[in-house]
Amino acid sequence: MNDTELGTHEWWESYKETVNSDPEMKVRGHDKFSENFYVEIGDERVLLEMDGGEIKQLVPNPTMNNQWSFGVEGDREAWEEFVQETPPAFNHEIIASHYRTAVRNEDGHLQLTGNNKKIFQHLRAFQRTLDLMRVAHNDGGS
Amino acid sequence: MSTTYQPGDVEPISGSYVHTEVEGVNHRIYFEENGPEDGIPLLCQHTAGNNCQEWRHLLTDEQITEEFRVIAHDLPYHGKSVPPTTQKWWTDDYTMTAEKFTETLVNLADALELEDPIYMGSSMGGNIALELADWYPERFRALIGLECGAHSPGFYIDWLDHPEVNTTEVNAYSCWGLMAPQSPEQTKRETMYLYEQGATGVFKGDLYYYSVDHDYRDKLDQVNADECPLYIANGEYDYLTTPEDGRQTAAGIGEGATAIELAEIGHFPMSEHPELFNAYIREILADITGDRDEELPDVLEPDDVGIELHQRGPAREKPAE
Repeated sequence: MNDTELGTHEWWESYKETVNSDPEMKVRGHDKFSENFYVEIGDERVLLEMDGGEIKQLVPNPTMNNQWSFGVEGDREAWEEFVQETPPAFNHEIIASHYRTAVRNEDGHLQLTGNNKKIFQHLRAFQRTLDLMRVAHNDGGS
Repeated sequence: MSTTYQPGDVEPISGSYVHTEVEGVNHRIYFEENGPEDGIPLLCQHTAGNNCQEWRHLLTDEQITEEFRVIAHDLPYHGKSVPPTTQKWWTDDYTMTAEKFTETLVNLADALELEDPIYMGSSMGGNIALELADWYPERFRALIGLECGAHSPGFYIDWLDHPEVNTTEVNAYSCWGLMAPQSPEQTKRETMYLYEQGATGVFKGDLYYYSVDHDYRDKLDQVNADECPLYIANGEYDYLTTPEDGRQTAAGIGEGATAIELAEIGHFPMSEHPELFNAYIREILADITGDRDEELPDVLEPDDVGIELHQRGPAREKPAE
């Protein structure tokens, strides 16, 4: 387990380094992933500006001057589960977690927002980027 | 126990084509099999948009194929079961329905002259166990619905068949989270690879049955599990048809229906974690054949079947400072 708390500046910087050095983000067209998206952990929102499968810039508290295509929102507890090395069922992957929120109307899971078409156009690269939160949080893992 | 093969080894799986009619059309259906000719037939159905390769580890399980004739087929339009040569199939959207699905399975069992077979399928293949028990209970010795529920809404998604989406990859990785994170990386990735082999529109067409046509919420009393034993075995990480969904479905059916939660595994148990699944399914098969003394537990865990989960190794190290 990484000693750095989820969502701190140090955590995001470590995460950025993890994403930008990930081999899977550089193949199978994932290096065309340049859609900005935000991650909202509780009431703290961070914009990930993507460029060619890498995080170009992290923008805390984005405003109307920023642009993004989609986002993921959830309470801190859901994200804490999501980044566990072996996460519990249903908060272990973004589509799983969103399904329990959007289709089954359950609380305590993550929710996708924004442009669904762009989400599906870049699904694997986006999904991998989020899964790498787990890698960064646990100093390795998959 | 699965065998590790070396260069020069030939696996004992054989493949053939059988012809059968579905909705009055002659279909060429590919199937693979292993096991004694007089073994108990175990007919295995793949998941939506996939093919029989999902079952390759069960087909080479020496312990299971000692007693069972394991047969895994490709539904029409899947894998090596090419579309019928008599139809202008390219002018229609492929759509699966409960009637077509059950007719295919029963006619396939007839064409192969399977006597008193056990049926087993996962996901759409799990759900269809309810229709089989409703409409054809006399045709099977027992039914095993893996990842089975009375209703599984929300996965008939337009983006899975859209010209501006890379559906090859999306049809696979929309299912990534259906697998347990602790399942082995290699077999999870192989499951995705198999998904990437599906033809355009077939996955979505199967999901019409899975998420729209199949709805037994108000019809569970029609499921004849008292005539044909029905086992509903759902993985802990299956977010579409959860173990609790399985329990509620079995409770709604009543006599003859048994629900078992499969711990530490997901929606593609046979391909995402074959070693664990094969150990789990031996317990259920033993219950069907009467070789098991005790009742099946509510939850089957790796420890119960002598499987020690592999320690998850890092997929890669963090970059050096």
